[in-house]
Amino acid sequence: MDQVESVRDIHGNRNKVLRLRSGPVATGKENLSPRCAQDDGILNGDASGHSSAAKPGTETSPDVDVEEKLKEAFARGWSIIVWNDPVNLMDYVVFVFKTVLKMNEQDASRHMWEVHQKGKSVVGRETREKSELIVHRLRSFGLNATMEQA
Amino acid sequence: MICEQIDPGQWRLSFNQPEAEFLINVLARLGRHYQEDVSRMPPALRAYWEGAISRGGGTGKTDLTESQEVLAEARAELRGERLALVENWLREYELSEEREPWRVEITTAERDEFVAMLNDRRMLIAAELGVTEQDMEADLSRMTNEARRAGILEIDVLGHFILVMLGPQIYRP
Repeated sequence: MDQVESVRDIHGNRNKVLRLRSGPVATGKENLSPRCAQDDGILNGDASGHSSAAKPGTETSPDVDVEEKLKEAFARGWSIIVWNDPVNLMDYVVFVFKTVLKMNEQDASRHMWEVHQKGKSVVGRETREKSELIVHRLRSFGLNATMEQA
Repeated sequence: MICEQIDPGQWRLSFNQPEAEFLINVLARLGRHYQEDVSRMPPALRAYWEGAISRGGGTGKTDLTESQEVLAEARAELRGERLALVENWLREYELSEEREPWRVEITTAERDEFVAMLNDRRMLIAAELGVTEQDMEADLSRMTNEARRAGILEIDVLGHFILVMLGPQIYRP
């Protein structure tokens, strides 16, 4: 009974932690995974970042469309970079990429190897606010992450 | 240490007595550390908790003072959250009647948080001792600096705990 009660204690406090953890990165579909899965352009030095096209079915004038595209390109003008360090374990880094950035195993491993071999990896490109949140999440797991304006 | 999945999203950790005592010692140290005033920490530890949000490698010249403050606040809150978590683990141990092995049942979210917390300790030791890649690959039996040897050994043991909890993660085609 003690065991169960104490386990419940942990559960109770866990909720408090989880509330803070359930920001848009952890729960929303707006997390980095789709971008990370297709960010070869960023990794290869193509920092344009505006891969989005007009949404099918939306009727906008060409001017508005261009404006929207420009707005989005500038808004997502922050690269999130993870830097190498001597202590974090390779498997742990992959776990963090999967947990925080919602990467699949293959992408997470690819970015981990890039960090390991090249010293850093651009793991996403986002708005300033979102980049702040992601940098915090990555750091909360002990990774050395920064955000740089592209 | 054994980590078993007992249900979807539910895990059971079992520690033998030396492992449990080691872990409790680590958690107690972490608890004390989380309560320390960051501004009074040595520069290396302060850097771990405050750290620069940017290395200035980009092209932009945007003032990141506000972002830096947001990060510092979030990091301060995180220490408070982790302290509460440490206290729960210590209380759990205090209340347990069976300690050989000591068993704890946790959810996946709790496991992830616990893993991150143990990694905090690894990173803090490394920051405090200025651990390098060479240190991590060195033969510990030949290391003459006792504090450094003990620190790296602790980093390694905690790394083992983490790997036991996570299992293999790297994609191998």
